[in-house]
Amino acid sequence: MGLTNYLIVSALLFAIGTYGVITRRNAIAVLMGIELMLNAANINFLAFWRFLHPASMEPQVFVLVGLTVAAADAAIGLAVVLNLYREFGAVEVDRADTLKG
Amino acid sequence: MNQAASMIAFYSLAALTLIPALFVVNSRSIVHAGFWLLPCFLGVAGLYAALEAHFFFVTQLMIYAGAIMVLILFALMLTRNAMDPSAPQHNKFRPVAGLICGAFGLLASWALTQHAWQITDQSPQSAVEQTTALGNALIGMYAVPFEVASLLLLAALIGAIVLAKVERGPAPETAPLADLEAIHTLE
Repeated sequence: MGLTNYLIVSALLFAIGTYGVITRRNAIAVLMGIELMLNAANINFLAFWRFLHPASMEPQVFVLVGLTVAAADAAIGLAVVLNLYREFGAVEVDRADTLKG
Repeated sequence: MNQAASMIAFYSLAALTLIPALFVVNSRSIVHAGFWLLPCFLGVAGLYAALEAHFFFVTQLMIYAGAIMVLILFALMLTRNAMDPSAPQHNKFRPVAGLICGAFGLLASWALTQHAWQITDQSPQSAVEQTTALGNALIGMYAVPFEVASLLLLAALIGAIVLAKVERGPAPETAPLADLEAIHTLE
């Protein structure tokens, strides 16, 4: 299968993730959408690596750093959600509107 | 024959990735959404294997299907019953966002088919050679990004502990004498 097929899967996964981030009310579900978007980015990197520059190591290093950022993001995000739950007794993102003018 | 097999494998992996992803963002029950993430991550790992990125196939299984899944399920358990299950799970932007994201996906797919990529017929190295090269790159040429990534993980570790720590106030004081006397007079 060619590069285009992988890129299309990645674009669709990114679109689904964006939809989840925009529409979900539960903060944990928003984080799940972000994870889907990060996965789509990693598929893109590896597809370009495989079909355009299979001998170079840069794309793999990018994916490794991306995975690290995803793991850090999940840990910090869930800690923030737990704090939100403790503070407001809710996990809905629209309930945390203390900064709203 | 080989091409047909790889085509079937690709389309089943794509379906294994995209259909659970749709359930993740649409499922009413947040716990179901969490569990739908697992087949999605497994599908992405399969796509990495199809791309001959052997190291990332294993990494995806360990980090996403293992660690991040457990993290998300723990967060779901710790915030149980925080949201009324009969309340709407999506905000008012749902139709507009669905339209825009669907249009984005379709337009991006169409645009991607329009470009002629300069695809090499060079194939990647074997799994061992590839992983060795990645390891050498991480301690040689790309030592700085590697160290920055480890620093980021350390900062995230400490930050998550600090954020999630329960603040305990000073130990409760014993009741003042006046209160005790008030209790006595009541008796």
